[in-house]
Amino acid sequence: MATKALVLTAEALRRRSFLRQAGTLGAAAAFGSPALDALAAEAGRVTLPFENGERELVAYPQKRPLILLTARPPQLETPFSVFNESAITPNDAFFVRYHWSGIPTSIDPQTYRLRVGGNVNTPLELSLSDLRQMADATELVAVVQCSGNSRGHFEPRANGGQLSNGAMGNARWTGVPLRKVLEKAGVKAGSVQVAFNGLDTPPLGDGPDFVKALNLDHALDGEVMLAWQMNGADLPMLNGYPLRLIVPGYYGTYWVKHLSDITVTDKVFDGFWMSTAYRIPDNQCACTEPGKAPAKTVPINRMNVRSFITSLANGAHVKTGRQTVVRGIAFDGGYGVNEVAFSADGGKTWQAAQLGKDLGKYSFREWSAAFTPKQKGSHELLVRAVNRIGQGQPAGALWNPPGYMRNVVESTRIVAV
Amino acid sequence: MMIRSLLAAGLMTAAPAFALDINLPPETALFKPSTLPGYTLVQNNCMLCHSVHYIQSQPPASPRAYWEATVKKMKKPFGATFADADIPDMVDYLVKTYGAERPPATKPAAAK
Repeated sequence: MATKALVLTAEALRRRSFLRQAGTLGAAAAFGSPALDALAAEAGRVTLPFENGERELVAYPQKRPLILLTARPPQLETPFSVFNESAITPNDAFFVRYHWSGIPTSIDPQTYRLRVGGNVNTPLELSLSDLRQMADATELVAVVQCSGNSRGHFEPRANGGQLSNGAMGNARWTGVPLRKVLEKAGVKAGSVQVAFNGLDTPPLGDGPDFVKALNLDHALDGEVMLAWQMNGADLPMLNGYPLRLIVPGYYGTYWVKHLSDITVTDKVFDGFWMSTAYRIPDNQCACTEPGKAPAKTVPINRMNVRSFITSLANGAHVKTGRQTVVRGIAFDGGYGVNEVAFSADGGKTWQAAQLGKDLGKYSFREWSAAFTPKQKGSHELLVRAVNRIGQGQPAGALWNPPGYMRNVVESTRIVAV
Repeated sequence: MMIRSLLAAGLMTAAPAFALDINLPPETALFKPSTLPGYTLVQNNCMLCHSVHYIQSQPPASPRAYWEATVKKMKKPFGATFADADIPDMVDYLVKTYGAERPPATKPAAAK
């Protein structure tokens, strides 16, 4: 009985949050296509490779079955096999991360407005059509990765979203440079940062709204973008429809979804999600001794270097004496990966991998390397990447309390038969 | 959806014309039943804002200090309105059901 009442409460809450959103947006969904339901999917389960890693596979609207981390708000992880399909992550397989359960489920693009205000000469209220007419659309291929991607692999374990390696994706984003919008509004002298808010809201009044900020020079760099498409299609609702902030090279926490408000500030923005959450140790490795708190922290920022084998999973079988071409992906925070090395003997010897097509310095870079197992039995495959400024990956995992920025050299154990 | 696809294919520069509505799948995760007094409290206080997944997916070795800090964080700064008096029983249920103080018999096989 208690359960029934609670389900109703949750429903009521969702309705309330919808109404609040609808009020903001005007009469959303007055006409148009019917609501999209999740595709019927066979119930599936996966076990991620750490303790308590059992998860359901669930198909959300506009998504194929993905690994369910949380249902309210929806948080979905991409099954790792997807990354072997192509260097571009399909929209229906792209991971989903929210912070608050007040998420928009109905948005009318005709009445959607982006407000630009704060320390500007001319506050703006822009429709999606206004944005599209503001400048020629630009395209950029860029990886977005959750700060806590791979947190479940931390040892000792770190609390928070227990993700394996699938909270990342690579897409071709279409939109306009943020700089064009800020130029139109006219940033006043003495401005320091730009804050970004989306339509998602805390379920209870006093919770800190999810707002992120970038330094003004970063916001004006011409690469930070307001995107309405990914991979040539409208953004899926759960990836930020109809407009999302794209911050190439930076962790996903800055890529604000359902972007509704841009506010130029004359001091450092000190909201909870900048001043308390998403902070990393203020040192070269962004790490501490396991179990220890850092002395000083800074906001998380640029992604570090990572590389993965995608064509073989742990426990995969290959033929002894026959050549196997191992494939994978590598990426970094936007300098561009220019060297990938592969080892088939647990790191005793390394060979240079061949790099695939260059889709841009913010993109996944595919790589491949051939090896022929000479003996039957277990082989430990390793991959490591280096970017254009010489940043690499640590041989042993680094640690920090929030479980961010994992980038250890990944190991895949396979069996030659 | 067909109209949407045609628009996407033919008029790439035009803004989408129709509202996008989605229906989220039903939420099915529930707290593990228990005779501990915190069981009713967590159903009322936690599920008001988020699904049980946040709790059940945490590392099983999570200590009492983690659950206590997290329950308190839900009040301040996250805005939950449950009474301070609920906190000890909530923490007790959470650590004994999902954390480091689970009875030995209910612990899953130890990680290799």
